[in-house]
Amino acid sequence: MDYHRTSLDDALPEGRSFPGRPAVDADAVDAAPAGHRSSPQVPAAMDAGDFHSASTRILAAINTVIDGKAEAAKLALTVLLAQGHLLLEDVPGVGKTLLAKTLARSIDCSVSRIQFTPDLLPSDVTGVSIYNQATRSFEFRHGAVFANIVIGDEINRASAKTQSALLECMEEHQVTVDGTSYRLDEPFMVVATQNPIEMEGTYPLPEAQRDRFMARISMGYPDRESEMEMLETHQASSPLARVTAVVTAAEVAAMIATVQQVYVSRPIKEYTVALGRATRESGLLRLGASPRSMLQLLRAAKATAALDGRDFVLPDDIISVAEAVLAHRIILDRKAASTGETPQSVIRAIIGKIPVTPEVTAAATGTGRPGRNKASAMAAAPPPQQPNPR
Amino acid sequence: MTLAPQRRTGSDAGPSGTEDPTVLSPGTASRRAGPGAQPWVMGTAVAVAVAGAALGFNGVLRGWAWYSPVFTTVLAVAFSMATLRSLRARTWFVAAGGLAALILVLTFTFFRQHSIAGFIPSAQTMDYLGRFLRRAGETVLAESTPVAPNAGIVMLICAVLGLLVILVDALAFPLALPATSGLGILAILVVPAMVKPQSVGVLGFLGAAVGYLLILGCSHWFTPDARTGADTARDPGQIRRGAVTAGMALTLTLLLQPIIPGFDQGTFPQGSRLNPFGSATGLNPMISLGSSLRSPSGEGRITFATNAPTTPYLRSVTVDNFDGDTWAPDDRESTRQLGTGRVDSGLESAATELRVITAVNTGQFTSPYLPAPYAPESVSGLTGRWSWDPATLSIKGVDTNSRDQQYVVTSVSPQLTAGVLAEASQPAGGIPELFLRQPSNVPEIVRTTADTVTAGAATPYARAMAIQTYLRSLQFTYSLQSPVQGGYDGNGLSVLADFLTQKSGYCIHFASAMAVMARLEGIPSRIAVGYAPGRSTGASVSVAGQGPLPEYEVDSRDAHAWPELFFQGIGWVPFEPTPSRGVVPAYATAAATPSGASTNERNDALTPGDRSTPAPVPTLAPVPLPAAGARTPADAHPAQALYGLGAVLLLALLAASPRLARSGVRRRRLTTAARGRSGAPAGTAVPAWAELRDLATDYGMAPGASETPRHFSERLRASAALGQPGGAETPGQRAAAALTEDFERERYGRPAGAAGPADAAASAGNAGPAGAAGAAGAAGAAGAAARIALVQAALRANAKLLVRLRADWLPPSVLSGWRRALPLPRRVLSRTAESTRRGIAGSWGKIRNTVRRVRRG
Repeated sequence: MDYHRTSLDDALPEGRSFPGRPAVDADAVDAAPAGHRSSPQVPAAMDAGDFHSASTRILAAINTVIDGKAEAAKLALTVLLAQGHLLLEDVPGVGKTLLAKTLARSIDCSVSRIQFTPDLLPSDVTGVSIYNQATRSFEFRHGAVFANIVIGDEINRASAKTQSALLECMEEHQVTVDGTSYRLDEPFMVVATQNPIEMEGTYPLPEAQRDRFMARISMGYPDRESEMEMLETHQASSPLARVTAVVTAAEVAAMIATVQQVYVSRPIKEYTVALGRATRESGLLRLGASPRSMLQLLRAAKATAALDGRDFVLPDDIISVAEAVLAHRIILDRKAASTGETPQSVIRAIIGKIPVTPEVTAAATGTGRPGRNKASAMAAAPPPQQPNPR
Repeated sequence: MTLAPQRRTGSDAGPSGTEDPTVLSPGTASRRAGPGAQPWVMGTAVAVAVAGAALGFNGVLRGWAWYSPVFTTVLAVAFSMATLRSLRARTWFVAAGGLAALILVLTFTFFRQHSIAGFIPSAQTMDYLGRFLRRAGETVLAESTPVAPNAGIVMLICAVLGLLVILVDALAFPLALPATSGLGILAILVVPAMVKPQSVGVLGFLGAAVGYLLILGCSHWFTPDARTGADTARDPGQIRRGAVTAGMALTLTLLLQPIIPGFDQGTFPQGSRLNPFGSATGLNPMISLGSSLRSPSGEGRITFATNAPTTPYLRSVTVDNFDGDTWAPDDRESTRQLGTGRVDSGLESAATELRVITAVNTGQFTSPYLPAPYAPESVSGLTGRWSWDPATLSIKGVDTNSRDQQYVVTSVSPQLTAGVLAEASQPAGGIPELFLRQPSNVPEIVRTTADTVTAGAATPYARAMAIQTYLRSLQFTYSLQSPVQGGYDGNGLSVLADFLTQKSGYCIHFASAMAVMARLEGIPSRIAVGYAPGRSTGASVSVAGQGPLPEYEVDSRDAHAWPELFFQGIGWVPFEPTPSRGVVPAYATAAATPSGASTNERNDALTPGDRSTPAPVPTLAPVPLPAAGARTPADAHPAQALYGLGAVLLLALLAASPRLARSGVRRRRLTTAARGRSGAPAGTAVPAWAELRDLATDYGMAPGASETPRHFSERLRASAALGQPGGAETPGQRAAAALTEDFERERYGRPAGAAGPADAAASAGNAGPAGAAGAAGAAGAAGAAARIALVQAALRANAKLLVRLRADWLPPSVLSGWRRALPLPRRVLSRTAESTRRGIAGSWGKIRNTVRRVRRG
């Protein structure tokens, strides 16, 4: 690693994914052909009918594997289409990895899986330049991150150094080794899972890193029927084996292009800004949502709108993804945390206070005055003074 | 990514921050600390306000004896409530306790003999209560102010004030609407303001104001308004702002009052200012004459001693302009002359004159005009500056009034006989034209009556006598009450017409009838206002150079009006057309009437309809209006009728206005939507959507502020408001869904024609599931009105009757808008006050700096 590649020619690597060391399991679920990732041209958008059928196919494929988690599946697809990264956080055994794998496998693209451990090195993620005796030159061996979908299992088990190696890839969609940058393929999505209750030997993701993930999904336990169903059907073989790719990577790229063209009107932008400002002004939060998260919120909302068959965003789209997109970025005030508030509940409360159509509302109901409402969750206004008996 | 520590630094976050927020609910907080002095201070404030406002009843009730039971009642109720509150009783229990205390104290005060143990009401108490209430009712109906404080009326006042204490307390305390508690206090003030000619009076006004301010101050002290944020009552800024606001309000009141018409004359029924300082009695003697006469106890007693052979009339002022709705003395300030040493009308009289000396003591009588026997030649002994009018010889204070004046009037009265007057046959001349001017709009009945009565009378004197005889005939009765009941109490030409129809009234009616009719017949006339000869007191007063003279007294009950007619070569001659009042001068007795023949036959012919030509020609189409009254629509003054019509229209408009406003808003929105259909497609669905929201609000399904259109629409459709949910989709539900979709597309969708080249293809294809965006949008605009109508019909059909009525007449969507607009004037005012304050402070600072610089340099 002490050597420097001088040429920038192969910034767009041609090679296959790095076979890796034992810890880095280049899980060649579906070794992607090299051909389709060669051209970074802007894909054309799909028409709505194709979009609808493609998204339906993906969701159906996921739902055959994971019972009763249609919401989570849809959010995962939303994040994929919004070009974000997904953080799956839940207790072990509820199907985090399964969801990630199913999503990856239902799409005909390259997938790699990194099992994060404390001794994982950054170069295991990004790749390393090694000296080729035959050609007498350094050549870059791609790390596990060179794939369309990267599953980072138990990401909080790796050291901060390794975690941050993944960061650059996630944010920049490129890898820089020895001063040379290599572009990652599009679509590129990191699906990381983490385990909230396991404290020993974990390095919790710092705020800055959590901010890189577009959405965090808690899988939650399945309901009674779904669990029964799962016991019925999943006894014999893993359902994952039956999943085949239902869309190609090119189709996904076209879907992403379609999402990008979803129209965002000015009122929606105003609503988004109001939402972001409200989180920063809320007395219950120590840290509000960042401007980047607002951008990601809007992108996720665009994907939601497209999945809903619309070419414009509604406030409902923003609201439907707000919890998933914002909850892992905000930090509760100590006081609020002690009173049993959760980030989700605070976001819900804030959404419940922002007028959706301020100009119509002001003329109709008059509840738009801030600070006069019962400040139950959002103590934006100073708390009303108690009567001062003397 | 910034932490926001400033959120947690505010001074008011400090105390609450140290405590666990869950324990901070108001109830527990106050329970822990105890209510402290608050109930007592507030109770005192309420008691001061009510008892203070009750001071205004002085003058409605005579004397002050009634005040002690009133005061006791108010105190007892207020403090029993304060006690209960300091014991932390529940709100309703406090009010009930106040009521119980009121009943007990009333029983103790008024029915001690007829109750159990002196304070517990029994069946007998109820019996007596009925009797008391009857007596109070009789007092209110029969007597005029100030009434004797009999037990009935005092008990009634005590009971009402006690209830008002409970009301004011409830408003100021548990309901936390201290500003509104002023309504209760105002209710007390309205009574004296309406009943007393001098309005509330300074005592009542001050008492009420002090109490009200106490209530406001105390409630703000104990529960600072959360809206003012960091400003607490202890903040001096609050007091400064309050002072500025109060000052502006006062200035506005003083400025607006003279501008608004109808508030500058008359007593309450005709509109008068709520003048806290009381008006000088007799500023317009024409107005207060009726109420003065009806006063059972004379006020404004005047004593005078005279050497005249017959007791003279005391004359204050004359009225000579008969135009306009309300007659008032014309002061003619420009021609008045100062000084009363020598008063001269400049008229020569052919008759022998009699010089009379009269010593007058006005006592408490307060008027700008000086009562004096006619015709004053000189007045001595007055304090202050006085002026007199050469035309009428009325004497008026320049900077003083008639209160506490002792003066001696030398007057000259011509010794007149019927013979002398009968010889004065020339038409009048040499006097100002204004005494001859015929008023415009003379009601036809006045003119025909005058013509009929004076037919055949040759000389002016004969005509005057004919009129007087007619008015003194048995057809006319003297009554103080019938003009009030008939609605023509007061003066003016329309009143005159009523009087001649009803043939019942008092001096002002007789005098003005004769004066106006005399003018119609060419005799100059004016109405003198003053006092009829009063009673002898039996005492005698010695006047310098005259020896003891008999003393007489007059008071407000002797207030009188009489006509003065001008005869060429003789001067102004008083007549007495009012039956049973005053003294008919010898020259004006009916026996001496030269025309001789009784006018009775001709008078009979006066009844309308007997004449060939219809006498009462209505000047206005008879509109059945409550204001004009069903009695004589024919002679109703046009202006009065117009006012009545306006009032009725205004009332109807007010009653219907929420409805009107609502339908106006709806029409505007739907026409906007319809216009959009033909022209630009933009802006069509948004007004329709606003209308849908308001419709839902009206029928009790108000959308939340943070509710998205889609969510609201789904909620609306899922509710029973548009038809049974779960069944087949009703037309109303379909229409609501379509309206929502249109609104979403218009508000959030891609504006038409804004599609970029990159996504033109995409949007063309995208129109699939989104439902043919463009086409559907246009169609939606076309049907917006129809859809709104569908939704409205569905809402109506599924709403209960009460909800439907409310949606029709008091639509919540309109009312909430009005409610929000209420504090707007206050906001504007405070903003103005603030900027004014800043401006003043700024300029003051500049001035100070300049001064400093000048001093230094």
